[in-house]
Amino acid sequence: MAEKRITIKATRFDPDKDEKPHLQSYDIPFADESMVVLDALNHIKSYVDGSLSYRWSCRMGICGSCGMMVNGTPKLTCNAFLRDYWPRPVIVEPLNNFPVIRDLVIDMDGFMHKLKSVKPWIIRKQEIPLGAGAHRQLPAQIDEFRQFSECINCMLCYAACPVYGLNDEFLGPAAIALARRYNLDSRDQGLKERLPMLADAEGIWECSFVGECSVVCPKGVDPAKAIQQTKLDTTMRFVLPYGNRD
Amino acid sequence: MPSGWWVRKRHYFLYMVREFTAVPLALWLLWLLIEIKRAGDGPAGYSPHSSTAFVVFSVICLAFSLYHSITFLRLSGVIIRIKLLDRQLPSMLITASMFAMWALASIVIAAVLIGFGR
Repeated sequence: MAEKRITIKATRFDPDKDEKPHLQSYDIPFADESMVVLDALNHIKSYVDGSLSYRWSCRMGICGSCGMMVNGTPKLTCNAFLRDYWPRPVIVEPLNNFPVIRDLVIDMDGFMHKLKSVKPWIIRKQEIPLGAGAHRQLPAQIDEFRQFSECINCMLCYAACPVYGLNDEFLGPAAIALARRYNLDSRDQGLKERLPMLADAEGIWECSFVGECSVVCPKGVDPAKAIQQTKLDTTMRFVLPYGNRD
Repeated sequence: MPSGWWVRKRHYFLYMVREFTAVPLALWLLWLLIEIKRAGDGPAGYSPHSSTAFVVFSVICLAFSLYHSITFLRLSGVIIRIKLLDRQLPSMLITASMFAMWALASIVIAAVLIGFGR
């Protein structure tokens, strides 16, 4: 029986040589039904064209490195099975809404800056004394924010968000979900410090609840829910009497 | 981003329809004001049946309004968190009660309007 093959069309862009990105076609063996798009890219790099550039690491959907557009949808390429696309060609492009450095590699500096801007660490008004030991936390208290702590910073949500696509000043789904993860943490007392970034025109209020971020999230973080709940909480905080604030 | 970004995916398209519903609703309200002004000119000069265009437009706007309300209420379970006896209420329950309150409010308002209209 003839060997099964599949066509991968990957974006190529060398900023020193090319004026704009273009697609290059590769015809590779589709040997194994468990093959994913990342396997295809690795085969191309190893045996066909060593100059193809892309990011990857764990190959099991936990590191968040290999996010790319696969046939127009943001996906982790280690989680996109070739069998779902075969026999049609698979078009692999760099993640939407980010500047392209080279081929399939995007510039994520803006994203990293946004993550840092929401102060994603435990903020205390008063540190508990060392002798008191570790912070105590009930499983129910962890469950409050557990979902929002699952984010692997893969940026698929930013690629899916049309608001971010139109305005890259928008704080974005992952950063706001991360802020909510800390605001809901019972050990944290830093809500007031995060508010200027969050409750800003470029923060939560830029979101118009398209909801595509939660659709593409590979870890079920539901950043759309985090953003809308933050909108409600910050508004109630604004409206309610002083006694409700910490 | 290409200007046709919202025709590429069904989910984006439905989002734009949802956002667009504000336009026919705003136009309907303006037309309603005009109809109210006409009715205010005296019962002799006004009959709703002579304004079939408004009735037809109202039916079209009703479709948009229903889409607007249903999409909004369906998302309420995502947004609203209520804790009862240390447990979060299931989001389906919150969504169902929102729809129930919407139905109740619609019945009350319809009863008042029809009651006063007679």
